Amino acid sequence: MLTIYQRLLGLYPETHRQQFGEEMMAVFEDVHADVRDKGALARAVFCVREIAGLLNGAIGEQMRAFIGSDPGFSFGTRRFTMRNGFRFPKSTAVLMTIILLGVILAIRKGEAIAYCPPHVDPQLPPIHAVPSDLLSGIPFFFMFFYAAGLIGWAILFALRRSGVHRLAEMSGERK
Amino acid sequence: MDNLPLTEPVLLILMSLAGQPRHGYSILKDVERMSDGRVVLSTGTLYGALRRLLDDDWIERFEKRESSRGRQAYRLTVLGRRSLQQEVDRMKHLARLAALRVATRES
Repeated sequence: MLTIYQRLLGLYPETHRQQFGEEMMAVFEDVHADVRDKGALARAVFCVREIAGLLNGAIGEQMRAFIGSDPGFSFGTRRFTMRNGFRFPKSTAVLMTIILLGVILAIRKGEAIAYCPPHVDPQLPPIHAVPSDLLSGIPFFFMFFYAAGLIGWAILFALRRSGVHRLAEMSGERK
Repeated sequence: MDNLPLTEPVLLILMSLAGQPRHGYSILKDVERMSDGRVVLSTGTLYGALRRLLDDDWIERFEKRESSRGRQAYRLTVLGRRSLQQEVDRMKHLARLAALRVATRES
């Protein structure tokens, strides 16, 4: 676990690691020693909590290093849900830009492969497009989950436990 | 008042440092104790919050001499203490108002 923790610490920006890395490691060792004698469940919860905390922290710090200010989704000192003023959704914009860049890169790579002259290397056969089964599978999966959701809702409706019934019960209780 | 209200973990960290300076492990344990085990911070979350509080000058770092491992400790600054007091006042006001409203409704 200590090795994993050390590896995950490597995801943080250099400045953060220099400032807090050694200290975080020391605190982690202390907390790790506390849970060592506890049950398997407590140890598992501890591992998940630490890994999730580190990943979330590393993403937040990297984003901060990248955009120069604290991203909205990192651990803040303020309760963002309580703000009434308009805030530009920075994290959404950054995430969408990353996705867009990924798509552009994938398209460029695909184009490069498609335009690759087949006789550059005579040992390699020409590349032919292979029909993908993934696209035809998507409507099937969509229909399957839609049907599953519909059946689930029908069961809840029959048992009078659907949202409509619960709302009706709640309004009845208030009256 | 722009920084208020605080999130519960941050409030608990500031409360922990209000009594005495502490190092990271001590803050983690104190937060857990104060919240009756409800808020258990990971080290990543704790140091994310400490970094922001340091940036905002609400806390400061110093070397604790008596610590065997020469660990850094943290203490509240004047600004941090003032902000914590503001949050406490805000919560007091809300609690008073809530009690008043509940009492009015019951009567």
